[in-house]
This record gives sequence, structure tokens and C-alpha cells, in this order.
Amino acid sequence: MMSSLSPALLQDIAEALARLPIAPEDLPLIQAQLEAQAEGLGRLDALDLSRVEPATVLLPPAEASR
Amino acid sequence: MSAPDATALSVTEAARLIAGRELSPLELTRAYLDRIRRTDGHHGAYMTVLEAGALASAAAAEREIAAGRSRGPLHGIPIALKDLIQTKGIRTTCGSTILKDWVPDADAAVARRLQEAGAVLLGKLHLHEFAFGPTGVNPHYGTPRNPWDPARMPGGSSSGSGVAVRAGLAAAALGTDTGGSVRIPASLCGIVGLKATYGRVSRAGVLPLAWTLDHVGPMTRTVADAALLLQALAGQDPADPSTAVPPPPDYRAAMQGEVRGLRVGMPREVFFERLDPDVEAGVLAAARALEGLGVVLEEVALPGIGDAAAATFAIIAAESMAYHGPLLRTQAAAYGQDVRTRLLAGQFVLATHYINAQRVRQVVRAAVDGVLSRVDALLLPTTPIVAPRIEEQEATVGGIRQDVCAWLTRCTRPFNLTGHPALSVPCGLSRGGLPIGLQLVGRMFDEATLLRLGAAYEAVSPMRDRRPPEP
Repeated sequence: MMSSLSPALLQDIAEALARLPIAPEDLPLIQAQLEAQAEGLGRLDALDLSRVEPATVLLPPAEASR
Repeated sequence: MSAPDATALSVTEAARLIAGRELSPLELTRAYLDRIRRTDGHHGAYMTVLEAGALASAAAAEREIAAGRSRGPLHGIPIALKDLIQTKGIRTTCGSTILKDWVPDADAAVARRLQEAGAVLLGKLHLHEFAFGPTGVNPHYGTPRNPWDPARMPGGSSSGSGVAVRAGLAAAALGTDTGGSVRIPASLCGIVGLKATYGRVSRAGVLPLAWTLDHVGPMTRTVADAALLLQALAGQDPADPSTAVPPPPDYRAAMQGEVRGLRVGMPREVFFERLDPDVEAGVLAAARALEGLGVVLEEVALPGIGDAAAATFAIIAAESMAYHGPLLRTQAAAYGQDVRTRLLAGQFVLATHYINAQRVRQVVRAAVDGVLSRVDALLLPTTPIVAPRIEEQEATVGGIRQDVCAWLTRCTRPFNLTGHPALSVPCGLSRGGLPIGLQLVGRMFDEATLLRLGAAYEAVSPMRDRRPPEP
């Protein structure tokens, strides 16, 4: 998935979706970061999370009654 | 007591001397200011030194204490804040040139609480730009030097806080921790760092990096000092909806208890894989020392922990990009390249990645809670490596070459994801003379057990009386 994204495609996505053009010299660094995370993010996609709801945010974790 | 010696005192010791009228806040503050003047050119810890304000606060503290109106153990104690924590009327740069002239019109909740406790603010401390990086290397303002070896990085993002406390430039400091930014510099600089439970300490008035991962925490020379600061910081704050309602316990009293019979789990997967041999030896020696104090050790498994790194990446990438997007649209060139590209990578994290990461967060949190229902705490390294050289981008351990940032955050990030409290305590020096950090992780809102374990270990630690060389 992400590992197959070319710098040119990253640039197109950035401009079209986020309206944030990326300087050419930054593209290889961004690509390297995404490649480093691709396997882990792919694993998240593959997990069976059918019975798991997202964590509630902006509230403290379940507090012990102590 | 001669003034220069006063900077070597712990907060606890200084507070005792102040309470006994053997040391004055003004004398103590002058000693710190003098040391900053003499040595911070070498260390590079401070962004802003508040000499006049500190002397005025110290004089006021002295008058109040003399009049019998002591505010408690932090009254008259010189501290410093990471320059991401807003301070009313005092420049707060966040390590960025974009905010080089920003003067907030209100204090962060933690700054206000320390002020109410009578602490003396010495100044604001360097950090990784916008707190987004674990090395402390800052291309705009320079990089604080590790007190044990100036060629080494201090760790980040609370780099100046780690250096200032270890080098005797502040009695204690505050840092912030989104992926380990209190614990990593604590480990690399050889001090104590505490990330309390998510919700224990208000984040109001602290520039966010990733809202659901951000924490504020004390960085100190001793575990007892961390307890003193946490006592002042902890508690509900209407300005931060994540803060917990139950009032914090008396940490100083709670940490006095016995550790014999406490059960401590060692999670091998992720945390004990591919460690610098010196780190592994130091942490295992610390485990044996705790065993010698009657602590019962056992190996534990944390199902799903292998997915914590990817989940944390997705959350921090998406949340930080959401915050910084407007600034990046107009001032991208003003960011350092490392932080800019880290932020821009967040554009390519899908909404489904973020949501699945929040689901994995539930899985990992439940796994840690499950293990902590059987043991009292977890024991693991804080960082798998000791402080790299400042210019190093990658490091090799166990034949694996990897980005330094990935090495530094591997053992700390999972507990930003879950929100559990985590304490880093120095546990030895490598053969090259660099500090090693022991990390203890506790049940939600049970910082007291961590402080108790940490203090018991500290009393027998080989780092107890070790100090870095004077510059």
C-alpha cells in the first residue's frame, strides 16, 4: 500500500486533499517515513477488531473507584 | 552552607533546610542563577532565564516563610519549565521560530499550580521543535548537551529539562510526554521522569502535539522529589476535560510503604527485544536488586503490544497534522525539516487508520489492565539504547539498523497509547559512562505504587550518588 506511493503521487494527494503542497526536497523523507510505517499500518487494517469500539477520547481512562 | 553547594541539594533536602531556616530561598535562587550564568553556555539548557523575576519571587517566598506563612515543600524552590508550557507575560517559543515572539496572556494550569505552591520560576527550557521528536536536536535554537558527554544528545523532546535538572541548573523541571518526552531525556540524562496517568495532571495551557497522547510531568533528581511535584500538579481542572475527578492521594505518605511482597511483571515481547547489551545488563541488575528487596518478579505477556507502535504513529500523525495544518499552509518553510516532514506524513494517514488505532488502543489498554490485575507494576527499560551522538540519525543494535527516533520511543510510546502511569529511574551507567533508565509502569491512577517501588530501588541503585563531570 503506502510503500508503493511514488513521490509524484504523494504530491498530487497532498495538493488535492489537504491543499498542502510539499517541497520536492521533503518528498523522499516523507516517503521513507511512510514506508517505515507501512507494514504496521497494514497490520492494523488486517486485525479482527469487529468487537472493539474506538477508545473514548477526552475523558480519563476508566477510573478505579479508589 | 555555601551557596554553590545548594544547587546539589534535592528538592526534598532543600525544602527541609528552608523549613528549618537553615537555607533561604533567596540564597538558593542566587546559587542557581550563578550556576546558570557560569555553566549554561556549555550546557545550553535555557531558552530564557528570568533572573529579576526569580529573585523577586524568592524574596517574596522568604518574607512569607519568615512570617510563618509557608505554602509547603515547594515554597522557595527554584524550578524551570519546558518552553511549551505557557507563562503569562513570558515568551513561550515552543522551540519554534514561528512563535519566537509569542508572549501568552495566561499561565498554563501547571505553571499556575507551581506558582501557588510557592515555587520560584528560574526560566524556560529548550525542547525539540513543537515537542515533535525524541532527540532534542533543534535546528533553530541549538541542542542542549548531555551532561555526561557533550557530544551526545540529551533526548527529547524535553531536552532542556533533562539537562537543567542533571546539571544542577534547576532543582526540578516540568516536561511534556506524548511518546516518551519526559522519560526519554530522563533516561538519557540520568534523572527521574514521571508520566502520570492520562487525566491526572491538567494539560490546559500547554501547546498540544497530540491531544489524546499528551501528558505533563515532573523531571527531578530523586523519586521523592517527583512525588512532591506531582502532589502540587495533580488534580481536576475544569479547563481540561480529561482530568480525573477523584482527588490524588498523599504521595509522600503512600511512597513510604513496604515493597516486600509486591509483584512486578517483566514483559519480554517488544520491551526486552534488541537491547543495547549494557542497557539489558543494567535493567536486569535493577530487577535483581528489587528482588533482593523482597519484590516478586515474573514474566508476563501483553497480547497486542506488537501493534502499539503503529497505532501510536497513526494517532500522533493524524492529531499533530490536524493541529499544525493551518500553520503549515502559511509557514511551512519556518519549520525544521525533520518536524515538517514528520507532520506532513500525517496527511497520508487515513481516517480508517486513525479509528483502527483507537480500537487497538482499547485492546492494548485492556491487555495492560489485565496483567496489572495480577501484578502491581511492570518493569522494563526506558530506552533500548543509551544517548546517541548528536549527529546520529540511525543506530544499530542486534544487527538491526533503525532510525534513532524509533529506537528511543519503542519502550515509552505504548503507555502514552494506554494512558498508564510510567516512571523512569536511573539504574546504571554503560561501559561508556552514559546513563541507563529503568521504567516502571503502574495501574491507572496508582502512581503511589510506582513511587514506592522507585524510591525503594533508588536507595540501593548504583546511580544513587553518581554525578556527571563538571564542565
